[in-house]
Amino acid sequence: MNAASSGPRAAHLDPDTVAQLRRIVGDSHVLLTDGDVEPYSRDATPLFRARPDAVVLPATTSEVSAILRLATERGIPVVPRGAGSNLAAATVAERGGIVMVLTRMTAIKEISADELLAVVEPGVTTAELADTAALQGLLYAPDPGSRTVATVGGNVAMCAGGLRGLKYGVTRNYVLGLEAVLPTGEVIRTGGRLWKDVAGYDLTRLLTGSEGTLAVITEVTVALLPMPAVARTGVAYFDSLSDAGRAVAGVIRDGLVPATLEFLDNRCVNAVEDFAHLGLDRQAGALLLFGDDGTPEAVERSLGIMAATCERVGARGVTMARDVAESEALLTARRCSLPALARLAPITLLEDATVPRPKIAEMVDRIEAISARHQVVCATFGHAGDGNLHPTIVFDPADGDVRHRAEAAFGEIFAAAMDLGGTITGEHGVGAAKRGYLQARLGADQMALLRRLKAAFDPAGILNPGKLGS
Amino acid sequence: MTGPGHSATAPIPAEPGASAAAAYRAGIFDPTVLSACISCGFCLPVCPTYAQTKLENSSPRGRITLMRALEEGRLDEDDPTLQHQAGLCLGCRACETVCPAGVKYGELLEQWRDHQWRGRHTPPIAGALRAGVRVTPALAVGGLLRGAARTTGAPEPDRPHLMLGCLERSLYPKVSRAALRLIPDADVPEGQGCCGALHAHNGGSREAAEMAQRLGERMPGTIVSTSGGCAAYLAHQLGHDRVKEVGEFLLSRWDENPASMPPLRPILVDGRPARVGVKDSCQLRNGLGVFAQSRALVGRVAELVELPSAGVCCGGAGTYSMLQPEMSRAVLDPTLTQARDLGLDYLVSLNVVCTRQLASGVRRAKLPVRVLHLVELLELAL
Repeated sequence: MNAASSGPRAAHLDPDTVAQLRRIVGDSHVLLTDGDVEPYSRDATPLFRARPDAVVLPATTSEVSAILRLATERGIPVVPRGAGSNLAAATVAERGGIVMVLTRMTAIKEISADELLAVVEPGVTTAELADTAALQGLLYAPDPGSRTVATVGGNVAMCAGGLRGLKYGVTRNYVLGLEAVLPTGEVIRTGGRLWKDVAGYDLTRLLTGSEGTLAVITEVTVALLPMPAVARTGVAYFDSLSDAGRAVAGVIRDGLVPATLEFLDNRCVNAVEDFAHLGLDRQAGALLLFGDDGTPEAVERSLGIMAATCERVGARGVTMARDVAESEALLTARRCSLPALARLAPITLLEDATVPRPKIAEMVDRIEAISARHQVVCATFGHAGDGNLHPTIVFDPADGDVRHRAEAAFGEIFAAAMDLGGTITGEHGVGAAKRGYLQARLGADQMALLRRLKAAFDPAGILNPGKLGS
Repeated sequence: MTGPGHSATAPIPAEPGASAAAAYRAGIFDPTVLSACISCGFCLPVCPTYAQTKLENSSPRGRITLMRALEEGRLDEDDPTLQHQAGLCLGCRACETVCPAGVKYGELLEQWRDHQWRGRHTPPIAGALRAGVRVTPALAVGGLLRGAARTTGAPEPDRPHLMLGCLERSLYPKVSRAALRLIPDADVPEGQGCCGALHAHNGGSREAAEMAQRLGERMPGTIVSTSGGCAAYLAHQLGHDRVKEVGEFLLSRWDENPASMPPLRPILVDGRPARVGVKDSCQLRNGLGVFAQSRALVGRVAELVELPSAGVCCGGAGTYSMLQPEMSRAVLDPTLTQARDLGLDYLVSLNVVCTRQLASGVRRAKLPVRVLHLVELLELAL
């Protein structure tokens, strides 16, 4: 594998390094045995696995700093990890070394209603942050599907997206400031508590989505919003996913920017229904989940327009969630789409191609044609409102050359997305999984710049080696 | 960037060693069940042991990764982490209720322990209990001496059969007597035997299934159990239509035929309705989906107070409190704190092992809370 070809690579850690790590974090927070490190050999990405030499769980910024200084001095790879729920194999330690797990850093240091912000340690889960903010009537807007599992630090490192992207944007739009530790051990603070602050390069944005290759995030300051008065959700059924895509284009042409526009094809609807038992229409070709939040009048108007647009485009049926619980159940079911698809076959390969909004229906048609040509079973769901699609190929590896056909299909799907002005990944990140497609998206000059940036932050090349900027 | 990164049609990278690893299978697990997990991690927030350790290897996802390593030969059963984690899992199956992929974790755990706890690897207490509950006559005598409900001879097909439960008849004999007062037409067949749940959860699932079948043959017709764990296991083996937990049995009978419900007086403490929390039986709630019935019944005789941790394992978990005393107490602690903060008068249990665990926790924390089985609480209202 290409990751093994250059840069630092740990053999088993020598006894002195192990002793140093134990001195830094305490004996019980250094895991070394085969059984203890095995569960950290993978994240939520199928088909990627690599055994780290050690798993280290620091509890403070100074512990993080001491570990990184040691690693740089001795050329040991370090892969930062939150809950390991990413879908790009970004936390797989392909070159061995240390997996640094930040789940012990779980303090919510501050929720400020006056400043509309929160300060948290990286191991807090997205749902814990959102729930704590909600107690003070505040909204943490980014809403990735893995919110109950994923950590805020991981969300920032991967620039997680989610179900509210269209109206509210993604993680990067809410990160005001970071504390981060450079691979050489220095602790830096970027940005801060201010919405306006143009002193220097915007390192906050650079670190957001840097996939653990530039620095280890140890504290995050995020912006909060006042909680909208009401939120409502409706469901429309269509004969096909491209019909649903046309409804989405129609909604946006109507001048609406609603909070939620999610769609699922027939296979996804059935998988989700098998888990959630919500009474979804299993016969429909596609389901569009639409929703908005705001004042009661604005939400009523918005949902009315969206329902009318769906009907105009030829929806088979439109229903409104009766109450908050029903809305929440629909959104929860949507968040479960990917794992629910695992019911169909042993391997669930998910992609993240994203196109400009008006191209959604065309992209959906192209995905269907490509899947048919390569004879693979592809279920598609996604954040239709922001053009972010998750075509998911499910297969049984025992089934002959299906894996190669899946690879070929994804190659063509990425090419089609870029042909339509889109990208290879909207929100899951590059990691090891999409590294092979990155140059096609960025071009040689930008790839070279990425490498120079990486070298400026990480001269020894220890941080998540082989991933972005390597 | 090195390697194949220059092409837009680069293949999906191969898992290092994937082809070699995939070739070997130890045959310990049902491959379809084992392959269902996609490691999304949705189970992490509901796992009581992960909440304590924050370590991946004590989460359901991490344990499945360990099981796969065992199945594929990367780890062998002597690995200390495998040994430890096979025992540290409570087997509460809370993970199954949130798993969108529908992974049958409980089945995987049984298969894991069947293999992991063979011969010398069997934890001594688990082995002793598995052997002990097989000695039906001894249990029957124990139950008799302590005053459990008397058996009534051969089962009569039209009457509901009350199961006495191996542990409950000796430890809490009043439970079966209370159940009989609430189900006066029930019979208590002789020589019931053990349902096998304890064996299934402690490395003896094959033997357990046979025990369940035999018990089903000895008691044809409807079986009512006062133990959530036994009810869930038996229902899984014999069918939920035949096997009912006592709360669900009473509620559906009383709802279908209100005349069958005895007059129930409100239970008062200091002149006000008693404040009662229900602690679910994990197997009953997570395995059988039964949790609303007990609450409805409590609500008829007292003030129902929902514990935030009602659905979280109490740490009793079969033999767990004996095998893992430290973790067992840590898992229980939030419930004790909540019971105190909510000012509970009674804590209702639906399973004999939970009763024992809750009672010892309440004693340890010196709480002014009485732990009762659901039918004992209802008996107070008669």
